[in-house]
Amino acid sequence: MLDAARPRVGGHRVRAAAVRLRRFASVGGEVLRNPTTLAGVTIIVAMVGMALLAPVLTEPNVPDPYQMPRDWGALNEPPGTPDHLLGTTQHGGDVLYGIIWGSRTSLRLSLIVVSVTVAIGVIVGSLAGFLGGRVDEVLMRIVDVFLSIPELIFALAIAAVLGPSFGNIILALAAVFWVKYARIIRGQVIHVKQNDYVDAARVIGDSRLNIFVKDVLPNSITPVAVQATLDMGNVVLIGAALSFIGLAEAGLAEWGVLVSQGQAGISAGRWWASTFPGLMVFLWALAFNLVGDGLRDVLDPRTERR
Amino acid sequence: MKTVPARAARPIPVKNRNLVTVRNLRRYFPIREGALQRVVGHVRAVDGVSFDVRRGETVGVVGESGCGKTTLGRCINGLLPPTDGGVYFDLGDDEHARLDALTAMPSEARTREQAAELERLDRTHRVDRLRGEAWRSYRRNCQVVFQDAFSSLNPRQLVKDIVGRPLKVYREASGSELMERVVGLLESVGLGRQHLYRYPHQFSGGQRQRISIARALALDPDFIVLDEPTSALDVSVQAQILNLLNDLQRERGLTYLFISHDLGVVRHMSDRIVVMYVGEIVEAGTRDDVFNSPLHPYTEALLEASPELAHDTDRRAGALEGRVPDPARPPQGCRFHTRCPVVTPSCGFEVDDAVRMLEGRGAGLDHLRGVQRRSAFEADLSFDDEEFAGLMVRVLEGPETPAEMREAMIGLTRSGSTVAIRFRDIDRVRLEEIRPAHVTSCILHTGQGLDPGDRHMREKNGG
Repeated sequence: MLDAARPRVGGHRVRAAAVRLRRFASVGGEVLRNPTTLAGVTIIVAMVGMALLAPVLTEPNVPDPYQMPRDWGALNEPPGTPDHLLGTTQHGGDVLYGIIWGSRTSLRLSLIVVSVTVAIGVIVGSLAGFLGGRVDEVLMRIVDVFLSIPELIFALAIAAVLGPSFGNIILALAAVFWVKYARIIRGQVIHVKQNDYVDAARVIGDSRLNIFVKDVLPNSITPVAVQATLDMGNVVLIGAALSFIGLAEAGLAEWGVLVSQGQAGISAGRWWASTFPGLMVFLWALAFNLVGDGLRDVLDPRTERR
Repeated sequence: MKTVPARAARPIPVKNRNLVTVRNLRRYFPIREGALQRVVGHVRAVDGVSFDVRRGETVGVVGESGCGKTTLGRCINGLLPPTDGGVYFDLGDDEHARLDALTAMPSEARTREQAAELERLDRTHRVDRLRGEAWRSYRRNCQVVFQDAFSSLNPRQLVKDIVGRPLKVYREASGSELMERVVGLLESVGLGRQHLYRYPHQFSGGQRQRISIARALALDPDFIVLDEPTSALDVSVQAQILNLLNDLQRERGLTYLFISHDLGVVRHMSDRIVVMYVGEIVEAGTRDDVFNSPLHPYTEALLEASPELAHDTDRRAGALEGRVPDPARPPQGCRFHTRCPVVTPSCGFEVDDAVRMLEGRGAGLDHLRGVQRRSAFEADLSFDDEEFAGLMVRVLEGPETPAEMREAMIGLTRSGSTVAIRFRDIDRVRLEEIRPAHVTSCILHTGQGLDPGDRHMREKNGG
């Protein structure tokens, strides 16, 4: 028997890691077996690849690559023009450049907002669920207040008060999105902490912090992963809506800004300046929703196979 | 499980004889209602329980679901603080005797010195008062195996981490030494090295229960609470786990508290039996005494209800009828009197019984306007009209009402549409030793509050 050999200390770690990796890979394999999820993953890989390779795909604008370059000699050029494959805007901005650097902006926006909101939501929700009692009451009433306002309106209000800038859009979205995670994680924690393995850990005499980190959190986190994936799309959608109504700086290489600035030309037949960036927003949101749904099917405890 | 093998006598180690001492243990759960979550009552899950567990023995706790046996186990494990009374761990023989003397007297009767002595015992031995090193020592020595083998193992941990965790918490071992000890533990429960790197969901129910047992053994405890450890398993697997537990007990000199509703299993496992009903102990004694000559009608009814144990078919106790009473409003007197087949007028008939009886007579409750209680035994029932009140009086006086209840009724008068009803005041029943080391609270045996006029009942019932 292979197992009979006494592995070294490091051997145990490596083996445990391998088992965990295999489990992770099997979940990943299961997710990808669904064709719509696979399509979503493909789109995401393409867009993230585009974002990462932006400086290679286009010449970065100086001094700020996130600002649209201006070619005053080529205003409102249609798609197919040499050097301007997808045409130019009324200010002579290259639409393709806007799409490529806009994917960077979107990736930055969604990663920052989602990681910040997950962190806040998980901390607040865990405290409420794990400690219970007064702490729970106070935190959840705050959450209720936030939840009672529609997220777009709320983000709009915050961004409007703070003034138009892309940084403020990030802030506004973060202020809106954390609430959902607090709700989700609280419900999970309350459910999970009733399991006998939590009591077994208490009987062993492990610390509350250890019990939370080893027993409660890992078993509560999956719905958060699903929601976070969906929100990677939603954040960009709402972010684009906010920039569309003018809450980002004009001239920013951002899809919502491009749609907004191009829409004036639609009636004059200059459809390209709005349509291509709009399509990108749609694809981005669609792709993350497809993957989120696929993840939910695989990870949802109700469908989890023992 | 029909044949009960003789249990080999185990040598008792020269340590303290009493490992766990439960004294007047109460655990109430508040019932909250309304927007302000006001406490409107208490579920008395455990309501004044006392017994000892001696080193090396197995004490079986039996009772229907909801009788408080799991809550009792959780209090002993230190998972729930008691509302009153307490669980004492590893008392010396002298201390045990002192505790008995001190807890037997009402708290206001204690002198200052006696109160200080009790406080000292509480601080050093009562599990919910232990701190620091004493708490750690108790924690290591008192472990648990739960019923649900699926919920008792963290699905995200590997077996090596689950079983090795207690050793890590107390920094007993690390690295390859830790791993070897985990392998040893797995082998002692019939698993092996090949199971180290698996997740709980890769095991069957019986194997998972073995993992739970290995975890409980990791710190080499003296005492393990087994909370229905085999109730969720197939019968064939059940026997394997029970035999494993017996073997481990013999090898390691373990002491068990075995909680179960399955009398067959309890008989197979236990040296002594505690029978619980609605938060109270109704009978306790050695296994053979309780199974062969039960004293309490509830124990008889339980035995009657498990066919393979019903040894004496001409016993009068029939199958258990009716519902288990609400532990938020336990019956007066003997709590079993609402379902007891050999009930006497002195068992604790009360207003609730009369109301429930009228409820059973159809329209009764529709016409009942309100119940004005002066005590549990005395109340005014107001009805819609005089006619109905008169009808109810006739029902309560008539043959529809059990003779014992009629006899317990010392007042029944109607004025207008109100019926005043009064029963004898009955104290709460106490456990008494009827035979050596065999206690019960049934008044047919203790004679507590038994009316001399009821003597004929006692003879009739062969008590």
